[in-house]
Amino acid sequence: MTHNAVIEVKDLAKKYGKNDVLKNISEEVHDGQVICVIGPSGAGKSTFLRCLNKLESPTKGQIKFNGTEITTLSEKELSTVREKMGMVFQNFNLFPNMTVIQNLVLAPIKVKKMSSQDAEKEARSLLKRVGLEEKANAYPDSLSGGQQQRVAIARALAMNPQVMLFDEPTSALDPEMVGEVLAVMKELAEEGMTMVVVTHEMGFAKQVADEIWFMADGYIQEQGTPTEVFDHPKTDRAKDFISKIINS
Amino acid sequence: MKELKQLLIMMAMVIVGITAMSMAPSSVHAATDNSLAAVQKKGTLVLATSPDYPPYEFQVNQKGKSKIVGMDVSIAKKIAKDIHVKLVIKSMTFDSLLVALETGKADMVLGGMNPTPSRRQSVDFSDIYYMGGQDFLINKADASKYPNQKSLANQKIGAQTGTLQYNLAKKYIPGVTIKGMDKGTDLVLALKTHKLEAVGMEKPTAEAYAKNDSSVIAIHSSYKLDKNSTGSAIAFRKGSDSLVAAANKSIREIKKDDLINKVYLNQAGKYLKVNTANTSMGHYWKYFAEGVEYTLIIAAVSGIIGVLLGVILALMRLANNKLLKGIAVGYIEFVRGTPLMVQVLFVYFGVGVIINLPALVSGIIAVSLNSGAYIAEIIRGGIDSVSKGQDEAAKSLGLSKTDIMRSVILPQALKNIWPALGNEFISLIKESSIVSIIGVTDLIYQLNIVRADTYRGVMPVFVAMVLYFILTFGLTRILNHFEGRMQHDS
Repeated sequence: MTHNAVIEVKDLAKKYGKNDVLKNISEEVHDGQVICVIGPSGAGKSTFLRCLNKLESPTKGQIKFNGTEITTLSEKELSTVREKMGMVFQNFNLFPNMTVIQNLVLAPIKVKKMSSQDAEKEARSLLKRVGLEEKANAYPDSLSGGQQQRVAIARALAMNPQVMLFDEPTSALDPEMVGEVLAVMKELAEEGMTMVVVTHEMGFAKQVADEIWFMADGYIQEQGTPTEVFDHPKTDRAKDFISKIINS
Repeated sequence: MKELKQLLIMMAMVIVGITAMSMAPSSVHAATDNSLAAVQKKGTLVLATSPDYPPYEFQVNQKGKSKIVGMDVSIAKKIAKDIHVKLVIKSMTFDSLLVALETGKADMVLGGMNPTPSRRQSVDFSDIYYMGGQDFLINKADASKYPNQKSLANQKIGAQTGTLQYNLAKKYIPGVTIKGMDKGTDLVLALKTHKLEAVGMEKPTAEAYAKNDSSVIAIHSSYKLDKNSTGSAIAFRKGSDSLVAAANKSIREIKKDDLINKVYLNQAGKYLKVNTANTSMGHYWKYFAEGVEYTLIIAAVSGIIGVLLGVILALMRLANNKLLKGIAVGYIEFVRGTPLMVQVLFVYFGVGVIINLPALVSGIIAVSLNSGAYIAEIIRGGIDSVSKGQDEAAKSLGLSKTDIMRSVILPQALKNIWPALGNEFISLIKESSIVSIIGVTDLIYQLNIVRADTYRGVMPVFVAMVLYFILTFGLTRILNHFEGRMQHDS
């Protein structure tokens, strides 16, 4: 591949007290790549993802974004990095005190200093894209989980990010709502968005991912194309995990 | 542990510093006496008194205007006239009078005050201007049961706390059970409802009560007392020799012409009749209206300042900076750990040594500083109650700390803490009543004035109770309205 590395991770480790959650991870995410991070619970997947935009501070190691080392940045400097990395959370985390459209325009107005007219115009087209144009003036608590997560994706996109991080975006959803969120994510992937997705949706991973990273015990144990990892896993840890999810 | 130690040392130093400052002026006054010259230079003589003690001093409601009158006020007026200055009257509770003198809030104090040896230690007194004598007030029905002081042995007797009457009864009546209260009106009420058998009082006061209430009568005491513990004198700041001499000159003239018995007491009696001619609460509505006005001013201003201060303190407390955090924690703990009443007294009298603040301003400052500490804790709880995910989501969008706080965290926190904040505002309305001790004419202060003037014990209390309820209930409705507007659920 000729793509440039957008995110470079080197010797990343994270400890909570005596508990080693991430032991030693070195990886690269390239422009336009869709990476799905899979693995058993407790493997450190979410912690790894949250280290990428420094919501968690690594204990050791380097993370570069567009070539800039971010682990040493101040909180203020970090915000200019974070605005380029959209993040979608398991629990949506929409701001309940604002309407849907207010959720979308807040950061573009405050951070990018966009005029409220421009921000609103952009926000409406994003809502249209996720199929929720008519909910612009609704409050988040009146929406279903699937709708809320789609708004959360639109909110992250409103900052026009270079990378999107998804932290188990469908785990908190009722099963009938998973599809609508995955459809939006799939569309995004097809448009060429660089994405890192922590997920348990193996069907989605198989179909959409350029690369699968299999994590367990604080390491990335195995990585490759979906075919390589799902059909021909090399390590015992991966074999075990994949046989379990196929048989369930 | 180390931080705690530093904090304690810091607090101790602040206290020592302030105490030292408040000690200083008294020695300055003692060194040189220019008290008379100083009063004449500013052109006003400031009298502090507690106008709930007819016929010595009380408020009269004449043609819709309320003013402080009485025998003591007449004397003060004469003294002011004799030294060619204007008399200014400041009213406050009896307990605060001498403190006001010592801290320079007033030039002299008249309040039917006895020049006892212990009082002489902290202030100077003029010659005695009036020998009141001691009486007991009893129920008329008991007239034959208690003909004299002797018959009161082993009975339950009331007197104002901290007064001579209290100490005399305790010392000289065998087997007595003595009950102390702050207000004369409360004591008379207790007497009339037979919770007490007699109330010890100054003679003129007892006679005034007997005149205005046919169910009680006054009987003479048989205490053998020296002048100092039974006569009334004027108190001045220590070392005000020239001012005391000027007052004594006026007192000599008053005595020579027997002005007190011939003129002043008669005038006071006439004013008393004005007050008791119509004791319906409607007649006194202006008193209550002023009380409500001041109570509202204090609560509203203190509420606003309290919220601002509370937000600042809460943010300081949540900050990473250890110094800011330490200041906020120290402030909150100290303010919550001391009674509001003490804080009000400290701001008015203590800080007053450095800057002379009016009573209303002092009251508002003290109540604001106090509620700020409580509101800070409410707000901190509110900020903590907003889920961490909200902060993370806002951070991931690149929002600055300030924007996150202002647009995301605080609005949600406000919704969560609204009921607790409402509680705080309601108790602000009620607890601000403590400022009445420094003479701010809030509802409680006015209530006590009306009780003293009308000799009615219960009705003014009932009116004040209803007024407080209307205020707090009105506030509750307003708060509920805003709470409703913050509900964004479907």
